[in-house]
Amino acid sequence: MSEPFEPKIVAFVCTYCTYAGADLAGTSRLKYPPNVRIVRLPCTGRISPMFILKAFQKGADGVLVSGCHPGDCHFDHGNYHARRRWTAFNALLQFTGVPEERVKFSWISAAEGIKFAELIESITEEIRTAGPFEQYHKLIAETGSAASV
Amino acid sequence: MSIQEQYRSRAKELLREGTVKMVIGYGAGTTPLRRRPIFITSPDDADRLVLDAACRTNLAGYLLREGLLADQKSVAVFLTPDGVRTINILAAESQLATEQVIVLGFQIDGENARQLEGTRVADFSGIIAERKKKRKEQPSHEVARKLEQMTSVERFSFWEGEFSRCIKCYACRAACPMCWCRRCVVDNNQPQWVNTSSHTLGNLEWNLVRAFHLAGRCVECGNCSEACPVNIPLHLLNRRMTEEVLTAFDYYPGADEHQEPVLASFRKDDPETFIL
Amino acid sequence: MAKIGVFVCHCGENIAAKVDCTKLVAAMESHPGVAIAHEYKYFCSEPGQESIKKAVTGHGLTGVIVAACSPRMHEATFRTACAEAGLNPYLCEIANIREQCSWVHSDGEQATRKAIEITRSLVEKVKRNNELQPIEVPVTRRALVIGGGIAGIQAALDIANAGGDVVLVEREASLGGHMAQLSETFPTLDCSQCIMTPRMVEAARHPKIRLLTYSEIEKVEGFIGNFNVTVRQKARYVDMNLCTGCGECIIKCPAKKISGEFDCGLANRTAIYTPFAQAVPNKPVIDSGHCIYFKNGKCKACQRVCPTGAINFDMEDELVELEIGAIVVATGFQVQNTALYGEYGYGRYPDVLTGLQFERLASASGPTGGKIQRPSDGKEPETIVFIQCAGSRDPSKGIPYCSKICCMYTAKHAMLYHHKNHDGNSRIFYMDIRAAGKGYDEFTRRAIEEDGAGYVRGRVSKLWQENGKLMVRGADTLLGRPVEVAADMVVLATAMVPQSDSKELGKTLGIGYDEYGFFNEAHLKLRPVETATAGIFLAGACQSPKDIPDSVAQASACASKVLALFSREKLEREPVIAQNNEATCSGCWGCVLACPYNAIEKKDLTDRAGNLIRRVASVNAGLCQGCGTCVTFCRSNSIDLAGFTEKQIFAEVMGL
Repeated sequence: MSEPFEPKIVAFVCTYCTYAGADLAGTSRLKYPPNVRIVRLPCTGRISPMFILKAFQKGADGVLVSGCHPGDCHFDHGNYHARRRWTAFNALLQFTGVPEERVKFSWISAAEGIKFAELIESITEEIRTAGPFEQYHKLIAETGSAASV
Repeated sequence: MSIQEQYRSRAKELLREGTVKMVIGYGAGTTPLRRRPIFITSPDDADRLVLDAACRTNLAGYLLREGLLADQKSVAVFLTPDGVRTINILAAESQLATEQVIVLGFQIDGENARQLEGTRVADFSGIIAERKKKRKEQPSHEVARKLEQMTSVERFSFWEGEFSRCIKCYACRAACPMCWCRRCVVDNNQPQWVNTSSHTLGNLEWNLVRAFHLAGRCVECGNCSEACPVNIPLHLLNRRMTEEVLTAFDYYPGADEHQEPVLASFRKDDPETFIL
Repeated sequence: MAKIGVFVCHCGENIAAKVDCTKLVAAMESHPGVAIAHEYKYFCSEPGQESIKKAVTGHGLTGVIVAACSPRMHEATFRTACAEAGLNPYLCEIANIREQCSWVHSDGEQATRKAIEITRSLVEKVKRNNELQPIEVPVTRRALVIGGGIAGIQAALDIANAGGDVVLVEREASLGGHMAQLSETFPTLDCSQCIMTPRMVEAARHPKIRLLTYSEIEKVEGFIGNFNVTVRQKARYVDMNLCTGCGECIIKCPAKKISGEFDCGLANRTAIYTPFAQAVPNKPVIDSGHCIYFKNGKCKACQRVCPTGAINFDMEDELVELEIGAIVVATGFQVQNTALYGEYGYGRYPDVLTGLQFERLASASGPTGGKIQRPSDGKEPETIVFIQCAGSRDPSKGIPYCSKICCMYTAKHAMLYHHKNHDGNSRIFYMDIRAAGKGYDEFTRRAIEEDGAGYVRGRVSKLWQENGKLMVRGADTLLGRPVEVAADMVVLATAMVPQSDSKELGKTLGIGYDEYGFFNEAHLKLRPVETATAGIFLAGACQSPKDIPDSVAQASACASKVLALFSREKLEREPVIAQNNEATCSGCWGCVLACPYNAIEKKDLTDRAGNLIRRVASVNAGLCQGCGTCVTFCRSNSIDLAGFTEKQIFAEVMGL
């Protein structure tokens, strides 16, 4: 009998807000599912759509992109630029059939440890219900390098 | 006098007066229905110019041929309103100066090519504003509408099928007037963000990245789909991006030569309904 | 060949109780490129750090991963330890297996698997890390203070008194700003000019302060410690060296009916004028817009009468180039254009005044010598209506914010009026009284209880003229009934708004501003006087509405920031900055536009003969703050961010 499906989720976050929020979840000893792997960037402005594609290539079943709330960016307006990119890229992903539940965007401040924990909980559950991103995994398999799921 | 005759004599005049050093236009192609770009530098050759409903290629990209505009001399080019928008974007992205471009404007109405008034790109701002209004009202492409009706699994399968045929020939890139990067991201192998093998995954990555790089820059001229040897409906991706920036940011690419690139600018109240 | 050392910290039980550290070490030992992997109870402790240093030197490590607590906790600690062992500190990365792993997961096995993946991906990253050197920039010990009001003067004096050079730029012909226009100041009622003018004189005479009045900022380039500023010194048409300030020219000037700015239009001035009697410098300037000679080519009365030949009609604007280390912006505020409030009749009825006009009426140096008189007929008003929040806290007029000073100055106005006119009546329409500040509430209480100021809680809906009176209709919301007052004068507590050209100045300086045009501080609570642009600071009402004590306090805070900067020989900055590959850059300038710090410049690439080949983006290391927004914009992957390069992130993701 196979083990129940545990999704792999990659999160790209800015160091000033969401990373600090994730730290706060830790110092507050909140509990959330261990499915998420965090990649720390200086700012959401640094988060390229390519990162999302590479996370999928590494077998991610879901991706989270998160940073400072509008107006709170440490770099003044990196997150405003990021928001425009996400708007365009998100539309593109959905148009090409990447299900909406597999790419999530959020604003999580350094004070929102609870929001971070709850969000990881909810998106993990959502993707767990959706199951593995099989269509993408199939493409990875075709390349000859098996996805590390 | 037919529009073709008018523009032939116009081209002749421009070259004879020395107003321009070159006219980029359409010439007869290999079949009666094909046209190919020609580059006229002598008034005597202007009679080779053809202008009719078969002239569909956006010629704006040829202006970026290395060194062509370096001598500050002007070049005349046959352009539809979308071609003029291309020039605006190229100017906004500092790839050329509009002072060097003389527009030979035309529009295809059904079976006929119609002359458009104006010689400088700025003369077409009214027409472009009109097109923006129309673009907003224009319904999505039929296939796109069907795609939107599908489940994401079906949509993914559709594109998987399309992209599986891609042979990574990069004809789309070569044909696109907006693909002028000195180095394309796909040619960067440190790191190799885009898989260069023409397996479906690499093809998907390539086409997604290209569509994203064209967001807010594509004028929907159709050069890419025309060029694709395996008939991938690339324009659908680009059109989807155009619709997105138009609805989300009220942004119509190529509105004028000072328009800030949509992804290098922002408004604090940009919509963000999808952000948790 | 990479030789990475992985150091897994137990953090006592904090990590080890959940994550199987031995298993993590074993997994890392077999990972390609890892030379050694160790575990220890507390790597942040002295012996822990020593063991890392020993391993770095003993094994000749090329990179270090410490799998421990958050990098926000101990990244600096471990990087310093590496540096002490001779390894470039930027070759050390932290894998966060405490806050983001052991502390948040219940299942030990899953936590261990996650810890392995986190650590592995950072090993892959650190293999691609480059040696980075902190960026050193020199500091020019000269401050530029923009604005010669109380905030600017205070900042300039504080810096100068500590030995720093200051250039104080004021766009009007005299220092003083709005404070010089005020009559008395709340809550102490000391005369504004009595406390202000000595400061003006002190600033002008200070050997460390170079005063540039009638001057504006033209251009600002450079970065913290190294700004190049161009100031436009407008033509005064009066030679400051020759002029003695005798004032003969002013007496003789035939253009006499020009509405005076200093008196807010309540008195006239001449075309050649000093803004006010105590102006600093106390030398006149010719208003070329109104001067008869400049209009008709004839007159020159001032030139004829000038005993020193100081009048020079051929004078032109001069551009002054300055090398500056730090900039204090103290450009102050404006009073909101009352045209917005048609219902209050400003501009239509001469006896409807702004608060600032009332200041001039009440001022001993004002047009009436301090007598409260109606502008229309000079009569002393028997009843004055004051309308608070005339503009402020009214989103429908585009100003949702509180102007902060109006409650206090209206109380002061009522008080001054009652002091000068013992039989007078005052009616103050207010929304609520905001009197937070030392001695402020006591002050408003005094106005009400001792001086008889009549407060009516409610808004005014309409104002019209009837039988020589200003009829004011409003609501008394405490009594719940409409009120109508027949007034002789109405004073509007108009909102404080930014200078009309503050956004342009913001762009020139490369600092942010809000939707109204107030400049943005770096952090509202923790960095209230810094801007997001290093080396540029904010003082006074240009940041938000402020009273005098707050403006002065903020100015002194700016001075301390500037002096802290000047106390250093060189500045050191984190080398996490963008770098451009000029070979692949196409010069589309998307990065230039996207950069929040104007840190990307256009650079000419030339051949040996000096001919321009093309232009490419070039990152100014002094200005770049390392956000990486440009990197993501760059379609050709030409720009990259040191410390978070494309290669590093790619490897990190592919290592997951």
